[in-house]
Amino acid sequence: MRISLLLAGAMFTLPALAQEPVPDRDLLTRPLPGLNAKELERFMLGRSLFRQSWVIAPASDTTVDGLGPLYNRLACISCHPKNGRGGAPSGPHEKMQSMLVRLSVPGTPPRPHPVYGDQLNEEGIPGVPGEGRAEVHWQEKEVRLADGHLVRLRFPEIRFVELAYGEIGPVLVSPRVGPHVAGLGLLDAVDARTLTAMARAAKPDGVTGKMNRIGRQAGRFGLKANTADLRGQIAGAFHGDMSITSPLFPDENCTPAQSACKQAPNGGKPELSARQLDDITFYVAHLAPPPRRNSEAPAVKRGELLFAGFGCAVCHQPTLQTGNSPHRLLRKRSFSPYTDLLVHDMGPGLADHRPDHAATGSEWRTAPLWGIGALAAINEKVGFLHDGRARTLEEAILWHGGEAEAARRRYGQADAASRRDLIEFLNSL
Amino acid sequence: MNKRRAFLKSGLALTVAAISGKPAWSAPQTVNVVTGYPDEFVSRVEAAFEKAHPEYRLRVIWRMPADAAPYLRQPGHGGADVYWSASPRTFARLASEGIWRKLPADRRHLPPHIGKVALGDTAGYYTATEVAGFGFAVSPDALAKRGIAPPRDWPDLADPRLAGLIALPVPARVGFAPPLIDIVLQGWGWDAGWALWSEITANAVLIDRGSTFVTDEIVAGRSTVGVSIDFFVNAAIANGAKLDFIYPAHTGLNPAHIAVTRDSTNPDGAAAFVNFILSPAGQRLLAHPDIRRLPVRPDVYAELPATYYNPFAAAAAGGLQFDSDAARPRLATLAAAFQQMLIEPHAELGELWRRLRRAEAAGKATTPIRALLCRPPLSEAEANTAELQRQIGLRIEGGPEAAPSATEIVWQKQCTKNRRHARQALEAIKA
Repeated sequence: MRISLLLAGAMFTLPALAQEPVPDRDLLTRPLPGLNAKELERFMLGRSLFRQSWVIAPASDTTVDGLGPLYNRLACISCHPKNGRGGAPSGPHEKMQSMLVRLSVPGTPPRPHPVYGDQLNEEGIPGVPGEGRAEVHWQEKEVRLADGHLVRLRFPEIRFVELAYGEIGPVLVSPRVGPHVAGLGLLDAVDARTLTAMARAAKPDGVTGKMNRIGRQAGRFGLKANTADLRGQIAGAFHGDMSITSPLFPDENCTPAQSACKQAPNGGKPELSARQLDDITFYVAHLAPPPRRNSEAPAVKRGELLFAGFGCAVCHQPTLQTGNSPHRLLRKRSFSPYTDLLVHDMGPGLADHRPDHAATGSEWRTAPLWGIGALAAINEKVGFLHDGRARTLEEAILWHGGEAEAARRRYGQADAASRRDLIEFLNSL
Repeated sequence: MNKRRAFLKSGLALTVAAISGKPAWSAPQTVNVVTGYPDEFVSRVEAAFEKAHPEYRLRVIWRMPADAAPYLRQPGHGGADVYWSASPRTFARLASEGIWRKLPADRRHLPPHIGKVALGDTAGYYTATEVAGFGFAVSPDALAKRGIAPPRDWPDLADPRLAGLIALPVPARVGFAPPLIDIVLQGWGWDAGWALWSEITANAVLIDRGSTFVTDEIVAGRSTVGVSIDFFVNAAIANGAKLDFIYPAHTGLNPAHIAVTRDSTNPDGAAAFVNFILSPAGQRLLAHPDIRRLPVRPDVYAELPATYYNPFAAAAAGGLQFDSDAARPRLATLAAAFQQMLIEPHAELGELWRRLRRAEAAGKATTPIRALLCRPPLSEAEANTAELQRQIGLRIEGGPEAAPSATEIVWQKQCTKNRRHARQALEAIKA
């Protein structure tokens, strides 16, 4: 036997690096409790696809080929790192990475730009030029709160450079950061009647809120609620971000002006099979919502009262109920997403001036707040609001306007301790 | 003002910015990098490289190793400038085919070896950018609850108290796993090594490609120990999982390399990328909680926490004796034999080992039965045959899985016969 080289000193244990508690950076990746073995297997299959970096066709691994010809990133986790939220570039020199820019020309529903389509695809496979680059140039403004506290807010100006298919001309643009994806199955299972009831309910402070509608369906997903269901949202992201075709989006993401794109090889028709789409939808649908943290801390309790008192909870509804989902674990459940899934006018400061179905250029879907306090530990570049402009939760609050103006004003008038308590509460979600 | 004009007016500010934009500087040149690394690693490297070298921009072409080789053999290498991946066989094979150019890298800070692992090829075409070690993921709490000491070396995994509690990746199906087999064979010798694997595998729950992770199984409490490559486990620990990773006394390293293609159209950009990856800044990225791989620059460890595993220190203490270069040609053969001897009949093997252990506990004579369950279907000399290695080579690295070859069917029959005889012998002693 050759075990004479065995040395006691050659065994090492590697504990966690830091002495302080390691934050749970995987909290958005866990399955809903209660999945059986078969469901868990399907969940894992979906996870593999969500983590998969897609391959340029042709490839011997035919189940995951078909990236591009024009695309933004290679994998779902590129824009949703660890299932979490993306962030914006710090300046024009940085690639967008987990951010993208929607494009359209006026029309309803939004009409894609005739040459660049409905999203700027910065990357192209070899032989197909990427569409160009969107540079983020940050502008700043200052807001002074009632007690004199000064807050600097930044907002992006988008400039297109290196455009490969000619001048872009007049175009409506909307930069977006990928949101986190945990708990989406529960949002998918909220009954349309619940949304209708919330839209019709009388609300204080001039808040209204409406459902976006896609044909006759209620919109739930997308930052302007322009997609009715989770399967459609996932298929749309595959198509828009990676140019992966699926049963819902059977054609490659090339415009008539993009001849190299149209001639490039594909990874089958469709590239993402119905089964794969179902598996990945099952996975995302069964990601457990982010758990609350420190919810019993006194500051958090005080902040929760302020959240209601300021009027935030009118739109960021603490509790929703699911209806009759095809998935047993998602049926008839009460959960706490802190959204009403309705679109609200958020005022000129946040407007992208790009209407989307029934949502106007200043309307946005109420962002679910669950998990918001955990996101910075997961992604060091995380940014809040639709385009990642807010570096802190306070900045995000101070951008609220329109229907949220009264709530924002109450926050601005509150003393520093109250403001801290509110942020503590948000960090506990 | 009609609705359409109102639309256009409302979008004016953004529209004007869009059409009047000019690049902040001249357009960067693209460096095309073929890799099989996961996105959380690649994205961070991409951002850091482009920040350090704004004159270049990375285009990532993702390919699993088996798919990377045909891609890189294309005329012009499919546009690739660099190949950067954890696939030593692919680098060696493509070097022999003349796919690489001499590596344009400053290697002064790179030792030639860690333990028995060579970090670069002697001809100077490629070099290691990181290494990863093999060992055991454990739940200290679950082990303590069962009163089992943390495993220190491979024989500890044969402990009958761990039956059903060890998560083991299937070597023929999980990319990183084949070297695990040879770590034990090199450490204990051919016959004793296979015997050890038979007992360990009988204790194991098998983990296939594309399904659950070893760490999932332990965190969920379905397993207590898992056999793994270190970065999966160390990243899970750095992300909050209550696990430990143990480098056993007998272990080794898997090097991941980088090379520049012969016909690269951007050799300066390729060189910039290679040198960035090998620079202190590039090497420090390896310690990110989502990456957790082992740098190949000894000087970088001084900047990492003292608890970060240092393979140079481990090698200096006499560890890391696994010879990965010697193992490489036969890994596919070993994985294929492992499959026929231990994986395909896994359920039956587990049952026979349970009966054997009961008989041994009862003091019955079982030496011949043990020998039957431990006997590999081929000799070491056969495993080292070049022709056999060529025949089975494509089975490894996630490549196309052909039906078992005639040789493997012979192994299958031999193993089936051994188990049948073992069963008969157990029945004869009423075990």
